[in-house]
Amino acid sequence: MLMQHPPFTTVRSIRPLTEIEFAAWVAQAVPGDRLEYHRGFLVLDTFALFTKLDDRGRTELAKLGSRAFWAAEQGLVHLVQQRIAPDQFAYIAVARPKPKAAAASLSELLLAEPEAA
Amino acid sequence: MQFELEPKHVHIITSEAAAVARRLQRRLGLPVCEREDLAQDLLVDLLRRLPAYDPAKGGLGAFSGLILRNQASRIAMKIMRERRAAGGFTVSLDAPAAEDDPRPLFEAISDTQGLAAWHGQHLSEAEKQQGRISIETALAQLPHCGQRLCAALSVNSVNTLCKGGFGSRSAIYRRISELRVVLTAHGLGASWDDLAAV
Repeated sequence: MLMQHPPFTTVRSIRPLTEIEFAAWVAQAVPGDRLEYHRGFLVLDTFALFTKLDDRGRTELAKLGSRAFWAAEQGLVHLVQQRIAPDQFAYIAVARPKPKAAAASLSELLLAEPEAA
Repeated sequence: MQFELEPKHVHIITSEAAAVARRLQRRLGLPVCEREDLAQDLLVDLLRRLPAYDPAKGGLGAFSGLILRNQASRIAMKIMRERRAAGGFTVSLDAPAAEDDPRPLFEAISDTQGLAAWHGQHLSEAEKQQGRISIETALAQLPHCGQRLCAALSVNSVNTLCKGGFGSRSAIYRRISELRVVLTAHGLGASWDDLAAV
């Protein structure tokens, strides 16, 4: 019998994403979901000389790129690129199963805190 | 010159304040029980300004009327601002729930429709427990220093933490800003559905 799994969702935002939106997607995505978080040439788009973005947009994009890299290092997503034209890439994050860790005891942390502070 | 208040002046002042409070209560659509509170707020302001009254320039009634009108418009603006912030009119919990329902409003509103629920406060035991599990799971993903900062922030202000050796204010705020994103990625924070809809 074939195993059924929920359909994967691919999301492409119609406007530039922010770092916090990317993080929110990571939290909500089921394994296999894909998010195109940038389209262009990320390295050049975050570089003042080559980009069409203003300072704020460039900073946001740099933060977004760093956050995507962080999420990949944490084992939350795979990062892949799809070439769509010369010097044009779709930067895609593919959600991975959430890493399991023993829950931290909130009570222990709070009990320890008055001594620490 | 210091103005000396006589019993007839007290009558003028209180009746002016009562009249302005009545107008204000009607104009703002407030319940009648608010009228006395409004009158007291108006009187407090008037009494504070009374030393500036000069009988040579006009009657006490005219002076009181002017002061009370100004204070009334300040109160009205404050109430309207609060209504805008609350997303609509505020109504008394003692008022009838509906025309055909004589129960007071507080009996007709469930916990999940209350202000606490709007602001994200968990009301049922199951929700509280679920929230606690989510927090503990997300905290487990943080490094020890991040866990310590979160625990410290839940019981101390940033100023206290500065003195407690957590670093400067700006360093703490930088870490909070970083933690916000990290905790969001681990499921504590704004949801993608809400953010994408904006």
